[in-house]
Amino acid sequence: MKVRFWGVRGSLPVPGRLTNRYGGNTSCVEVRPRGDWPIIIDAGTGIRRLGKSMMESAFGDGRGTAHVLISHTHWDHIQGLPFFSPFYQQGNRVHVFARQRHDTHLQAVFASQTEDPYFPVPLSALRAEIEFHELVEGSQFEIGRAKVTCTRLNHPWIAMAYRIDVDGAAIVYCSDTAPFSDVLLEHEFIRTPPQVGGVLDPAVAEKLASMRAGLVAMCRGADLLIYDTQFTPEEYRARPHWGHSTPDDAIHVAREAGVKTLCLYHHAPTRTDEQQDVILHATQELCRTAGEPFEVIAAYEGLELALGDEEGA
Amino acid sequence: MRVRFWGVRGSIPAPGPETNRYGGNTSCVSVHTASGELIIIDMGTGLLSLGNSLLPTEFGKGAGKATILLSHAHWDHIQGLGFFAPVFIPGNQFVLWGHAKSSSLLEGILEGQMNPNFSPLYTLRNLGATVDVRAVIPGEPFEAAGVRITGRPNPHGSTTALAFRIDEGDRSFVYASDVGYAPGGPSPEVLELYRGASALLHDCTYTPEHQEKRRNRGFSSYEDAADAAARAGVGRLIMFHYDQDYADTDVDALHASCRAALDARGGQAIELTAAAEGLELEI
Repeated sequence: MKVRFWGVRGSLPVPGRLTNRYGGNTSCVEVRPRGDWPIIIDAGTGIRRLGKSMMESAFGDGRGTAHVLISHTHWDHIQGLPFFSPFYQQGNRVHVFARQRHDTHLQAVFASQTEDPYFPVPLSALRAEIEFHELVEGSQFEIGRAKVTCTRLNHPWIAMAYRIDVDGAAIVYCSDTAPFSDVLLEHEFIRTPPQVGGVLDPAVAEKLASMRAGLVAMCRGADLLIYDTQFTPEEYRARPHWGHSTPDDAIHVAREAGVKTLCLYHHAPTRTDEQQDVILHATQELCRTAGEPFEVIAAYEGLELALGDEEGA
Repeated sequence: MRVRFWGVRGSIPAPGPETNRYGGNTSCVSVHTASGELIIIDMGTGLLSLGNSLLPTEFGKGAGKATILLSHAHWDHIQGLGFFAPVFIPGNQFVLWGHAKSSSLLEGILEGQMNPNFSPLYTLRNLGATVDVRAVIPGEPFEAAGVRITGRPNPHGSTTALAFRIDEGDRSFVYASDVGYAPGGPSPEVLELYRGASALLHDCTYTPEHQEKRRNRGFSSYEDAADAAARAGVGRLIMFHYDQDYADTDVDALHASCRAALDARGGQAIELTAAAEGLELEI
């Protein structure tokens, strides 16, 4: 399979010279099993260019099928959807997957993204056939030859991590999540930052431990682990309730799960290319010194990786 | 008054080296009045940088006050609010004027973007600063930031967007983004709003060819902008809200074509500026 990054930024798109190399578009990754339709993970602003490139293929004639896995519906993960060209071509089929809500059907959540007065084109006016699929933690399903599994993460309003197994390789997409140590993030707004390293209620600690164990199990042996590393340790200490991790947190999961490559992802909007270089090099150095068996890379727009049967092809 | 552009792009932010010069952030303009008050027009992604630039001022201490004018609530005009640092500092006070049948309806629209489905902020109530939301009555001038402001709706696809005129002494600045006129151009009331402005910032999303293909979206071509400027007899026309697919070189071409369109309409005396992120103009 091939994996290509179309948007690597968290929270807000950040155009400008300072982000030209890593890219300013928000979250979007394309996974393309060999000879098959694309599986898209998240629909931040990066999906706009991906959609345009897809229109050069069968999607341009309304003969394409795409699957979109949404980690969660925070704006930086869905903002690009109304600008996804294949939606506007009759005949295309798009399946959108996301976690089931406790109160609202997924289709209503996505419909409200583009209803009046927020956007001129309502969901009902799109010409492709769009089907919404609600997931619960642990859901397993197949997209063509690909096997997809998911587990929940520690993020406000809850995000999902996905694993895709196909062509003899496995990737895991794990964004957005806080580490599983200081606060449980679900449906409650947390006004005051909890103390990092403080003592947790035993029930909360158990739930977090179980969530983390689920993630580590899902990451087991993956060729590529794409992980939310938006924060530096200082930023995390100030905002542990915002639902993002540091490279250290990602290293621990990567080590325990025995992955082959760890990919830093969901870069902070304020991070310049130079600052991101520093974070990448420090993380690589740390892992080299510690003798970690995995490689560390950082996602940037346009990065394409070939995995499994595709390697060397 | 001093006008500065923080975001000049339409519809969706367009990051990448090809937009470095004009900028890829969505609509956001600041106006500093001669008496030192701050007016912010639209809250696209450009608001992030404007907010950070205000932190060394009284806004960093929770003692800032500003007026916000909202043309309409399409996402590219409101997305920056949750990333505007001064709005998280208790003590700062914002009065936001926009278009709705009532101020509570407008507040509800802004609440919609903070909905926990879309944002970790959950509600406007979680912003530390106060945001006092008020509905503009079309054509009825109001006093804010020590100046006189008038708003009038323009057609914008299936909806409308407010154009604003700010008058301070003998200087006037008009902001008219996101407008797709009916055949015949601006309504008499809107033309009156533009009339004789020192500077008219106008929607200039497309070339006429692109606009022809996408007219139902409710944006202007450079010809529409040149028409409006020439007919209203403004001092300067400012091009704004470029299509997300236009690279810097496309905007350069748009600029040259707009100059020719102005000249062809007897507007040789009208100065022409293509808005770019970071550009500042003394009106």
